[in-house]
Amino acid sequence: MFKYQFRWDTVWGSFDFLMGGLQMTLVISAITLVLAMVGGLVIALLDMSRFRVLRWIGISIGEVVRNTPILVQLLWVYYVLPIVFGVRIEALVALIIGLALYQASFISEVYRSGIQSVPKGHREAAQVLGLTPLQSFNRIVLPQAIRMTLPPLASNFVQLIKFSSLGAVISVSEITRRGMELSATNFRPLETFTFIAVVYFFICWPLAMAIRFWERRLQAR
Amino acid sequence: MSSTSPLILADGITKRFGANQVLTRVSLEVLERDVVCVVGPSGSGKTTLLRCLALLEEPSEGRVVMEGVPISTPSPDKQVKAAARDVRSEIGMVFQHFNLWPHMSVLQNLIEAPIRVKKMPRDKAVAIAESLLKKVDLFEKRDAYPARLSGGQQQRVAIARALAMSPKVLLFDEATSALDPELRREVLAVMRQLAREGMTMLVVTHEMGFARHVGTRTVFMDRGEIVEAAPGSAFFDAPQTERAQRFLQQFADE
Repeated sequence: MFKYQFRWDTVWGSFDFLMGGLQMTLVISAITLVLAMVGGLVIALLDMSRFRVLRWIGISIGEVVRNTPILVQLLWVYYVLPIVFGVRIEALVALIIGLALYQASFISEVYRSGIQSVPKGHREAAQVLGLTPLQSFNRIVLPQAIRMTLPPLASNFVQLIKFSSLGAVISVSEITRRGMELSATNFRPLETFTFIAVVYFFICWPLAMAIRFWERRLQAR
Repeated sequence: MSSTSPLILADGITKRFGANQVLTRVSLEVLERDVVCVVGPSGSGKTTLLRCLALLEEPSEGRVVMEGVPISTPSPDKQVKAAARDVRSEIGMVFQHFNLWPHMSVLQNLIEAPIRVKKMPRDKAVAIAESLLKKVDLFEKRDAYPARLSGGQQQRVAIARALAMSPKVLLFDEATSALDPELRREVLAVMRQLAREGMTMLVVTHEMGFARHVGTRTVFMDRGEIVEAAPGSAFFDAPQTERAQRFLQQFADE
């Protein structure tokens, strides 16, 4: 039988330490989401540019980022960028840059499909009534596209909360890293990492459920 | 503009999509108060012709002329583009799939273009919109969203939206094809009323009854060409060409 003396008090004793890490996790995720939303817009604009060179750059960034592992990208940003540019990058900054770039490449697709979800006929109706292409985009396409884009953006936030745990590898002091440090001193990895997994779950799960509900309501329209 | 020049004129329009030639030197003029009905088998180029006149497609050859002024040509110059901008909203269009904007209420759908394009004060746009909604018998739906309306109601809103810009000519692209028979009737009733009021209309349709009884002229298209054109119901009573006879035969069987 499984004979193990649980010592949850080792976790409660460091509750504030771990919660401080959780705060860090959420702050990283929020900052990264904002940066990724802007970066995603830049990539989407490059993808749709009239100039072939810009299109090529946008598409290349997207393909490279989507087809290499996020962990390798983080290690690359943290260890290689400083060598190339001769500057020291804080682990936290490296994590945010790496994650933001990764998410931006997915968010650019979210934008693109949001815009494409608006039927061509809606734009044609605007055109026939005399609206300029800019008016048509601002008044007809964008409001509909944003509505379609919000749930996937929220899902990206959930993903970021989970991906930010990779920061532990480059010693960013978010909750997973703090758990590693704690278990190295209390020798209680089972309690520590179980607790951390439960924390992640109870943050991500309600968010994911809310998003699913939200998407279903949008589809019902 | 001289009163003799047609309101809108398709002048020898050829349209190719890649290697596929959809229209071949089609010429058609619509005079003021005309109700021209374009009929023909699917794939005959009717809709493409209409889209050229609505300035949604650029002709490969030929031009579109409105009241004597060219507004669409292959690779248009500055002058043509400026002319097109000027008359853009004078050519209204009603689509097969309505194309109402789903994120706006019925009223917002109607006032959007008058406010943005004509720079009309909001209350004036609302007053016009409300009177148009009464006309199509949908005043009580002014604050509803399109998804809450039946297809027939949506199409009537779409007609009102087009009328809100007081166009000189209204183009109908199979406006009733996406509707159930009982909903068609309410849309056709609105179209008939517009014709009675003297609205200039170009109607691509499969509604032979409408073409016969409401149209002032019927144009029969097949394989990208105008095969036959006759005033009023003459086309139905005495079709001249074999192709037209064969086309009409299908409806006789119904």
